[in-house]
Amino acid sequence: MSELYNHLLKQIVTFQYQLNSYISTTIRNLNDENILSTSLLVLGIAFLYGLIHAAGPGHGKALVAFYFVSNKSNYKKAFKMGYMISVIHAISALIFTFGIFYILKTMFRKNFNEMSGIAMQVSAVMIIFVGLYLIYEAYKSKKVKELEIKPSSKSEYAVAFSAGIVPCPGVMTIVLFCIILKQYLLGILAAITMSIGMGLTISVAGILSILFSKKAGSFLDTKGYILEIFGGLLIFLLGIFLFTSVGHK
Amino acid sequence: MKFIISFILIFNILYAHPHTFIEVYPTITVKNKMMQKIHFVWKMDEMTSSMLIMEFDLDSNGKIDKIEQQYIHENYFSTLIDYNFYTDITINNKITKFPNPKNFKAFIENNKICYSFEIDKKLNIHKTIFDFGDTDFFIAMILKKEFTKIIGATAVVSDLDNDFYFGYRLELK
Repeated sequence: MSELYNHLLKQIVTFQYQLNSYISTTIRNLNDENILSTSLLVLGIAFLYGLIHAAGPGHGKALVAFYFVSNKSNYKKAFKMGYMISVIHAISALIFTFGIFYILKTMFRKNFNEMSGIAMQVSAVMIIFVGLYLIYEAYKSKKVKELEIKPSSKSEYAVAFSAGIVPCPGVMTIVLFCIILKQYLLGILAAITMSIGMGLTISVAGILSILFSKKAGSFLDTKGYILEIFGGLLIFLLGIFLFTSVGHK
Repeated sequence: MKFIISFILIFNILYAHPHTFIEVYPTITVKNKMMQKIHFVWKMDEMTSSMLIMEFDLDSNGKIDKIEQQYIHENYFSTLIDYNFYTDITINNKITKFPNPKNFKAFIENNKICYSFEIDKKLNIHKTIFDFGDTDFFIAMILKKEFTKIIGATAVVSDLDNDFYFGYRLELK
């Protein structure tokens, strides 16, 4: 398992390294004559980059997996959740990048690191609350003996917002690179296409955990609340882990 | 049990993933199986470099001047001691603290920020291993055989088998 994982990690890193280099060279080669074809190429690479980038550790996949493994849901909701996270991720990255660039201009990287740290802590606290809320919901459902529990859309939005609020440094880097080269529109479009790619990968994490939940179907029908409490607890611990990790940096 | 293992795995590799790529170019001179001179050049990816250049090259002359060098060294390079300069040196099966880097220089080459520095330490090639990687996995260190320049020995580059981040290993034969 470890060897397989390491091999997968190597492939993800290698692809990203190549795409990162390819995307910067392509944007730099943009001129009046090739603007349309090169822009389309950049957007295509950005989509692929997002797809692979989100396959690496992070981007709320664990949160989504914990959520869906403990709450009965369908694939459509997994897609919705994946795309909600990636849209919030992209908007957050665009606001941070343009904000920091135009307000502060210098010390970009330092300020980005600081602001990213604050956003991560906010996200961690929100994740802790989502975990507590899910545990409470599961406990309540056990009490009223509701075996068929439908997760409220309130908790879905909370999960998506908690995971998405941390701006993706990958998106920020591309946007900033475009700003520096005065390709503003391309920067925004690249952030959007990269997010579409990331959304697809995050959705797959949700779908896989729904598949897992379905396999444990009979268990869910009788003692589903145990899995829900466990899922809520994992999300809670995830928040604590994130909060303490950011605090140590 | 599989369920728990899978989630613990996801839990541990949670939120870091490489956003910056650094190519490592080691130049090592070997004499009588001992490393006499160890020199590294790090070349950062173009997108990260564009951000750094914006901050480092204060007079926007496309060069890193003396004052800018000092600023980078104090505020950026020196702080990497907390990360052991993304390089674990194993001597006699023991990971050692990264020696204080000497002759640091930052420069811009092909739109990339590069760091050049040396290690002043004589090391036996058979008892020394260099592992490049960031345990936080925010940075990906990239080492290829063609990046190495070894005088008096042969470089062996292999994948570094870590559970939660990816890196490269350099050994000399």
